Amino acid sequence: MKLSQLTFSESARDDILDLYGKSIDSEGFIVEKDNPNQRVLTPNGEEIHFKEWGGIRKGSEAFIKNDAFSLIELAKKLE
Amino acid sequence: MTILENLKTVFEGKLGDVLSHNNITFFNFSRNTNETIEVKDGNKLVIDISKATEEERKKIRNILDSRVQSENEAFLMDHSSGKTLKIKQSLPSGESEELLKFYKDKLKPEMYKALEASLIVKNAFERGEDISEIKQDISERYPTFGNNLCNLVTRDYFNKHFKELYRSMLEDEDFDINVYQRKVENIVKSLPYTVFITRYKAYDELSREVRFKLDKQQKYGAGKLLLHGLGRENVNTTVTILEEYKENNHLNTQIEINPKKTIITATFIF
Repeated sequence: MKLSQLTFSESARDDILDLYGKSIDSEGFIVEKDNPNQRVLTPNGEEIHFKEWGGIRKGSEAFIKNDAFSLIELAKKLE
Repeated sequence: MTILENLKTVFEGKLGDVLSHNNITFFNFSRNTNETIEVKDGNKLVIDISKATEEERKKIRNILDSRVQSENEAFLMDHSSGKTLKIKQSLPSGESEELLKFYKDKLKPEMYKALEASLIVKNAFERGEDISEIKQDISERYPTFGNNLCNLVTRDYFNKHFKELYRSMLEDEDFDINVYQRKVENIVKSLPYTVFITRYKAYDELSREVRFKLDKQQKYGAGKLLLHGLGRENVNTTVTILEEYKENNHLNTQIEINPKKTIITATFIF
Protein backbone atom coordinates (compact mmCIF):
# COMPACT_ATOMS: atom_id res chain seq x y z
CA MET A 1 0.00 0.00 0.00
CA LYS A 2 1.08 3.57 -0.66
CA LEU A 3 -0.07 6.98 0.52
CA SER A 4 -1.71 8.76 -2.39
CA GLN A 5 -0.15 12.03 -3.47
CA LEU A 6 -3.74 13.15 -3.77
CA THR A 7 -5.17 14.34 -0.44
CA PHE A 8 -8.09 16.43 0.71
CA SER A 9 -8.21 19.29 3.13
CA GLU A 10 -10.58 19.56 6.08
CA SER A 11 -12.50 22.18 4.11
CA ALA A 12 -13.27 19.62 1.39
CA ARG A 13 -14.33 16.83 3.78
CA ASP A 14 -18.07 17.24 3.09
CA ASP A 15 -17.45 17.42 -0.67
CA ILE A 16 -15.52 14.13 -0.60
CA LEU A 17 -18.15 12.44 1.56
CA ASP A 18 -20.77 13.65 -0.90
CA LEU A 19 -18.70 12.22 -3.75
CA TYR A 20 -18.90 8.84 -2.00
CA GLY A 21 -22.64 9.13 -1.39
CA LYS A 22 -22.27 9.87 2.32
CA SER A 23 -23.55 12.60 4.60
CA ILE A 24 -23.43 13.44 8.31
CA ASP A 25 -26.33 12.78 10.70
CA SER A 26 -27.57 15.05 13.48
CA GLU A 27 -25.10 13.50 15.95
CA GLY A 28 -22.16 14.04 13.63
CA PHE A 29 -21.73 10.45 12.42
CA ILE A 30 -21.06 9.58 8.78
CA VAL A 31 -24.11 7.90 7.20
CA GLU A 32 -25.30 6.69 3.81
CA LYS A 33 -26.86 9.66 2.02
CA ASP A 34 -29.70 7.54 0.64
CA ASN A 35 -30.26 5.81 3.99
CA PRO A 36 -29.42 8.19 6.84
CA ASN A 37 -30.26 5.56 9.46
CA GLN A 38 -27.29 3.50 8.31
CA ARG A 39 -24.05 4.69 9.85
CA VAL A 40 -20.84 3.93 7.97
CA LEU A 41 -18.51 1.55 9.82
CA THR A 42 -14.74 1.13 9.79
CA PRO A 43 -13.36 -2.31 8.84
CA ASN A 44 -13.24 -2.90 12.64
CA GLY A 45 -16.97 -2.22 12.90
CA GLU A 46 -16.73 1.20 14.55
CA GLU A 47 -19.04 4.10 13.72
CA ILE A 48 -17.15 7.18 12.53
CA HIS A 49 -17.78 10.69 13.80
CA PHE A 50 -16.99 13.19 11.07
CA LYS A 51 -14.23 14.71 13.21
CA GLU A 52 -12.55 11.29 13.47
CA TRP A 53 -12.57 10.52 9.77
CA GLY A 54 -9.12 10.15 8.22
CA GLY A 55 -9.82 8.88 4.70
CA ILE A 56 -10.29 5.78 2.59
CA ARG A 57 -8.14 2.77 1.89
CA LYS A 58 -8.48 -0.32 -0.26
CA GLY A 59 -11.45 -2.49 0.54
CA SER A 60 -15.16 -2.31 0.07
CA GLU A 61 -15.93 1.20 1.33
CA ALA A 62 -12.99 1.04 3.75
CA PHE A 63 -13.37 4.30 5.65
CA ILE A 64 -10.72 4.78 8.31
CA LYS A 65 -10.37 6.92 11.40
CA ASN A 66 -7.60 9.42 12.01
CA ASP A 67 -6.57 8.28 15.50
CA ALA A 68 -3.05 6.96 16.09
CA PHE A 69 -4.19 3.33 16.45
CA SER A 70 -5.99 3.28 13.07
CA LEU A 71 -3.07 5.02 11.37
CA ILE A 72 -0.51 2.66 12.96
CA GLU A 73 -2.30 -0.26 11.29
CA LEU A 74 -2.25 1.66 8.02
CA ALA A 75 1.41 2.67 8.39
CA LYS A 76 2.41 -0.97 8.92
CA LYS A 77 0.92 -1.83 5.53
CA LEU A 78 2.75 0.93 3.65
CA GLU A 79 5.57 -0.03 1.32
CA MET B 1 -0.88 7.13 -16.00
CA THR B 2 -0.06 9.59 -13.19
CA ILE B 3 -2.76 11.26 -11.12
CA LEU B 4 -1.96 14.55 -12.83
CA GLU B 5 -2.41 12.96 -16.24
CA ASN B 6 -5.68 11.44 -15.00
CA LEU B 7 -6.88 14.81 -13.81
CA LYS B 8 -5.93 16.45 -17.07
CA THR B 9 -8.40 14.16 -18.81
CA VAL B 10 -11.11 15.42 -16.44
CA PHE B 11 -10.34 19.11 -16.47
CA GLU B 12 -9.43 19.55 -20.07
CA GLY B 13 -8.20 23.07 -20.63
CA LYS B 14 -8.64 24.11 -16.97
CA LEU B 15 -5.23 22.75 -15.95
CA GLY B 16 -3.50 25.03 -18.44
CA ASP B 17 0.27 24.71 -18.33
CA VAL B 18 0.37 22.76 -15.08
CA LEU B 19 2.81 19.98 -15.80
CA SER B 20 4.38 18.56 -12.68
CA HIS B 21 2.81 18.97 -9.29
CA ASN B 22 3.54 16.38 -6.67
CA ASN B 23 1.09 17.73 -4.12
CA ILE B 24 -2.51 17.70 -5.22
CA THR B 25 -5.24 18.50 -2.70
CA PHE B 26 -8.99 18.67 -2.90
CA PHE B 27 -10.00 21.88 -1.27
CA ASN B 28 -13.08 24.00 -0.78
CA PHE B 29 -12.16 27.57 -1.58
CA SER B 30 -15.22 28.78 0.35
CA ARG B 31 -15.30 32.09 -1.41
CA ASN B 32 -16.96 33.67 -4.33
CA THR B 33 -14.95 32.41 -7.24
CA ASN B 34 -15.76 30.26 -10.21
CA GLU B 35 -12.29 28.80 -10.38
CA THR B 36 -12.12 25.03 -9.95
CA ILE B 37 -8.34 24.77 -9.91
CA GLU B 38 -5.64 26.92 -8.36
CA VAL B 39 -1.94 26.62 -7.69
CA LYS B 40 -1.03 27.46 -4.09
CA ASP B 41 2.34 28.20 -2.56
CA GLY B 42 3.95 27.78 -5.96
CA ASN B 43 3.81 23.98 -6.07
CA LYS B 44 0.53 22.76 -4.62
CA LEU B 45 -2.30 22.07 -7.01
CA VAL B 46 -5.67 22.52 -5.31
CA ILE B 47 -8.97 21.45 -6.81
CA ASP B 48 -12.36 22.59 -5.53
CA ILE B 49 -14.70 19.75 -6.39
CA SER B 50 -17.71 21.63 -5.07
CA LYS B 51 -17.35 23.72 -8.24
CA ALA B 52 -16.82 20.75 -10.53
CA THR B 53 -19.58 19.73 -12.91
CA GLU B 54 -21.50 16.51 -12.36
CA GLU B 55 -19.55 14.90 -15.21
CA GLU B 56 -16.23 16.00 -13.71
CA ARG B 57 -17.24 14.68 -10.29
CA LYS B 58 -18.08 11.26 -11.77
CA LYS B 59 -14.70 11.11 -13.45
CA ILE B 60 -12.92 12.15 -10.23
CA ARG B 61 -14.72 9.39 -8.34
CA ASN B 62 -13.57 6.91 -10.98
CA ILE B 63 -9.98 8.12 -10.65
CA LEU B 64 -10.16 7.81 -6.86
CA ASP B 65 -11.63 4.29 -7.06
CA SER B 66 -8.91 3.29 -9.46
CA ARG B 67 -6.11 4.73 -7.27
CA VAL B 68 -7.51 3.26 -4.05
CA GLN B 69 -8.71 -0.14 -5.25
CA SER B 70 -6.38 -0.97 -8.16
CA GLU B 71 -3.25 0.95 -7.21
CA ASN B 72 -3.74 0.21 -3.48
CA GLU B 73 -3.32 3.82 -2.44
CA ALA B 74 -4.70 5.30 0.78
CA PHE B 75 -6.63 8.48 0.03
CA LEU B 76 -6.41 10.57 3.19
CA MET B 77 -7.09 13.96 4.62
CA ASP B 78 -3.85 15.93 4.38
CA HIS B 79 -3.45 16.01 8.17
CA SER B 80 -3.98 12.22 8.43
CA SER B 81 -1.56 11.65 5.58
CA GLY B 82 1.17 13.61 7.40
CA LYS B 83 0.41 11.85 10.68
CA THR B 84 0.61 8.42 8.99
CA LEU B 85 3.94 9.31 7.46
CA LYS B 86 5.27 10.41 10.85
CA ILE B 87 4.06 7.13 12.41
CA LYS B 88 5.58 5.10 9.57
CA GLN B 89 8.97 6.72 10.18
CA SER B 90 8.79 5.89 13.88
CA LEU B 91 7.42 2.33 13.76
CA PRO B 92 9.28 0.05 16.16
CA SER B 93 12.35 -1.52 14.62
CA GLY B 94 15.51 -3.13 16.00
CA GLU B 95 15.52 -3.02 19.80
CA SER B 96 11.98 -1.70 20.16
CA GLU B 97 10.67 -4.35 17.75
CA GLU B 98 12.37 -7.02 19.89
CA LEU B 99 10.75 -5.50 22.94
CA LEU B 100 7.31 -5.80 21.35
CA LYS B 101 7.98 -9.42 20.46
CA PHE B 102 8.88 -10.11 24.09
CA TYR B 103 5.57 -8.70 25.35
CA LYS B 104 3.35 -10.00 22.53
CA ASP B 105 2.10 -13.05 24.45
CA LYS B 106 2.58 -11.60 27.92
CA LEU B 107 0.46 -8.45 28.11
CA LYS B 108 -3.29 -8.02 27.70
CA PRO B 109 -4.09 -7.00 24.10
CA GLU B 110 -5.10 -3.43 24.99
CA MET B 111 -1.94 -2.90 27.02
CA TYR B 112 0.14 -4.37 24.19
CA LYS B 113 -1.46 -1.94 21.72
CA ALA B 114 -0.75 0.98 24.05
CA LEU B 115 2.85 -0.25 24.39
CA GLU B 116 3.29 -0.32 20.61
CA ALA B 117 1.89 3.20 20.24
CA SER B 118 4.04 4.43 23.14
CA LEU B 119 7.18 3.05 21.50
CA ILE B 120 6.24 5.05 18.40
CA VAL B 121 5.88 8.14 20.61
CA LYS B 122 9.33 7.45 22.08
CA ASN B 123 10.90 6.98 18.65
CA ALA B 124 9.18 10.08 17.25
CA PHE B 125 10.32 12.12 20.26
CA GLU B 126 13.90 10.97 19.74
CA ARG B 127 13.60 12.07 16.11
CA GLY B 128 12.62 15.52 17.33
CA GLU B 129 9.00 15.23 16.17
CA ASP B 130 5.97 16.73 17.91
CA ILE B 131 4.42 13.82 19.81
CA SER B 132 1.53 15.58 21.56
CA GLU B 133 -1.25 14.37 19.23
CA ILE B 134 -0.25 10.69 19.28
CA LYS B 135 0.23 10.81 23.04
CA GLN B 136 -3.21 12.33 23.41
CA ASP B 137 -4.70 9.57 21.24
CA ILE B 138 -3.20 6.98 23.60
CA SER B 139 -4.61 8.76 26.67
CA GLU B 140 -8.05 9.07 25.09
CA ARG B 141 -8.21 5.44 23.99
CA TYR B 142 -6.98 4.14 27.37
CA PRO B 143 -7.85 6.79 29.94
CA THR B 144 -7.00 4.67 33.00
CA PHE B 145 -3.47 3.75 31.99
CA GLY B 146 -2.49 5.21 28.58
CA ASN B 147 -0.65 8.29 29.75
CA ASN B 148 1.14 6.45 32.57
CA LEU B 149 2.21 3.64 30.26
CA CYS B 150 3.58 6.15 27.78
CA ASN B 151 5.63 7.78 30.54
CA LEU B 152 6.94 4.40 31.73
CA VAL B 153 8.02 3.51 28.18
CA THR B 154 9.87 6.81 27.88
CA ARG B 155 11.67 5.97 31.13
CA ASP B 156 12.60 2.48 29.83
CA TYR B 157 10.61 0.56 32.47
CA PHE B 158 9.49 -1.92 29.82
CA ASN B 159 13.08 -2.58 28.77
CA LYS B 160 14.11 -3.43 32.29
CA HIS B 161 11.70 -3.49 35.20
CA PHE B 162 8.73 -5.34 33.69
CA LYS B 163 11.01 -7.86 31.98
CA GLU B 164 12.76 -8.52 35.28
CA LEU B 165 9.37 -8.81 36.98
CA TYR B 166 8.32 -11.44 34.44
CA ARG B 167 11.50 -13.45 34.87
CA SER B 168 11.25 -13.33 38.65
CA MET B 169 7.61 -14.40 38.62
CA LEU B 170 8.37 -17.17 36.13
CA GLU B 171 10.65 -18.76 38.73
CA ASP B 172 7.66 -19.34 41.01
CA GLU B 173 6.28 -22.86 40.68
CA ASP B 174 2.69 -21.67 40.48
CA PHE B 175 3.40 -18.96 37.89
CA ASP B 176 0.23 -17.64 36.26
CA ILE B 177 0.43 -15.18 33.33
CA ASN B 178 -2.84 -13.60 34.48
CA VAL B 179 -1.23 -12.63 37.76
CA TYR B 180 1.68 -11.04 35.87
CA GLN B 181 -0.75 -9.11 33.67
CA ARG B 182 -2.67 -7.86 36.70
CA LYS B 183 0.54 -6.84 38.44
CA VAL B 184 1.78 -4.85 35.43
CA GLU B 185 -1.62 -3.23 35.07
CA ASN B 186 -1.71 -2.33 38.74
CA ILE B 187 1.75 -0.75 38.65
CA VAL B 188 1.02 1.19 35.43
CA LYS B 189 -2.30 2.51 36.74
CA SER B 190 -0.71 3.42 40.06
CA LEU B 191 2.27 5.26 38.60
CA PRO B 192 1.53 8.65 40.24
CA TYR B 193 1.49 6.95 43.62
CA THR B 194 4.21 4.35 43.18
CA VAL B 195 7.80 4.35 44.39
CA PHE B 196 10.11 1.93 42.60
CA ILE B 197 12.64 0.65 45.09
CA THR B 198 15.92 0.28 43.25
CA ARG B 199 19.48 -0.44 44.27
CA TYR B 200 20.64 2.44 42.11
CA LYS B 201 19.39 4.86 44.75
CA ALA B 202 20.81 5.17 48.27
CA TYR B 203 18.59 4.09 51.16
CA ASP B 204 18.26 7.65 52.49
CA GLU B 205 17.16 8.91 49.10
CA LEU B 206 14.49 6.19 48.80
CA SER B 207 13.32 6.75 52.34
CA ARG B 208 12.95 10.49 51.70
CA GLU B 209 11.10 9.81 48.43
CA VAL B 210 8.62 7.53 50.20
CA ARG B 211 8.06 10.09 52.98
CA PHE B 212 7.64 12.93 50.47
CA LYS B 213 5.14 11.01 48.31
CA LEU B 214 3.28 9.75 51.36
CA ASP B 215 2.85 13.32 52.66
CA LYS B 216 1.71 14.46 49.22
CA GLN B 217 -0.69 11.56 48.75
CA GLN B 218 -2.15 12.03 52.23
CA LYS B 219 -2.83 15.68 51.42
CA TYR B 220 -4.02 15.44 47.81
CA GLY B 221 -3.87 11.85 46.60
CA ALA B 222 -5.78 8.67 46.01
CA GLY B 223 -5.45 7.33 49.55
CA LYS B 224 -2.66 4.90 48.84
CA LEU B 225 1.02 4.60 48.00
CA LEU B 226 2.69 1.57 46.42
CA LEU B 227 6.27 0.49 47.02
CA HIS B 228 7.49 -1.92 44.41
CA GLY B 229 10.79 -3.78 44.56
CA LEU B 230 12.42 -6.55 42.50
CA GLY B 231 15.31 -8.73 43.64
CA ARG B 232 16.27 -9.78 47.16
CA GLU B 233 18.24 -6.61 47.93
CA ASN B 234 15.34 -4.37 46.95
CA VAL B 235 12.86 -6.53 48.83
CA ASN B 236 15.00 -6.14 51.96
CA THR B 237 15.28 -2.38 51.42
CA THR B 238 11.49 -2.13 51.05
CA VAL B 239 10.93 -4.10 54.25
CA THR B 240 13.33 -1.78 56.10
CA ILE B 241 11.47 1.28 54.81
CA LEU B 242 8.17 -0.27 55.92
CA GLU B 243 9.58 -0.69 59.42
CA GLU B 244 9.92 3.09 59.65
CA TYR B 245 6.12 3.23 59.66
CA LYS B 246 5.21 0.28 61.87
CA GLU B 247 4.24 2.58 64.78
CA ASN B 248 2.08 4.75 62.54
CA ASN B 249 -1.54 3.97 63.38
CA HIS B 250 -2.91 6.06 60.51
CA LEU B 251 -1.47 3.75 57.88
CA ASN B 252 -2.79 0.36 56.96
CA THR B 253 -0.12 -1.68 55.17
CA GLN B 254 -0.70 -4.57 52.77
CA ILE B 255 2.38 -6.55 51.79
CA GLU B 256 2.69 -9.09 48.97
CA ILE B 257 5.98 -11.03 48.73
CA ASN B 258 6.50 -14.02 46.45
CA PRO B 259 7.72 -17.31 47.97
CA LYS B 260 11.31 -16.76 46.81
CA LYS B 261 11.31 -13.26 48.31
CA THR B 262 12.38 -11.62 45.06
CA ILE B 263 9.27 -9.52 44.41
CA ILE B 264 7.51 -7.17 46.80
CA THR B 265 4.54 -4.90 46.40
CA ALA B 266 3.64 -3.06 49.57
CA THR B 267 0.66 -0.73 49.71
CA PHE B 268 0.13 1.97 52.30
CA ILE B 269 -3.58 2.67 52.60
CA PHE B 270 -4.75 5.74 54.50
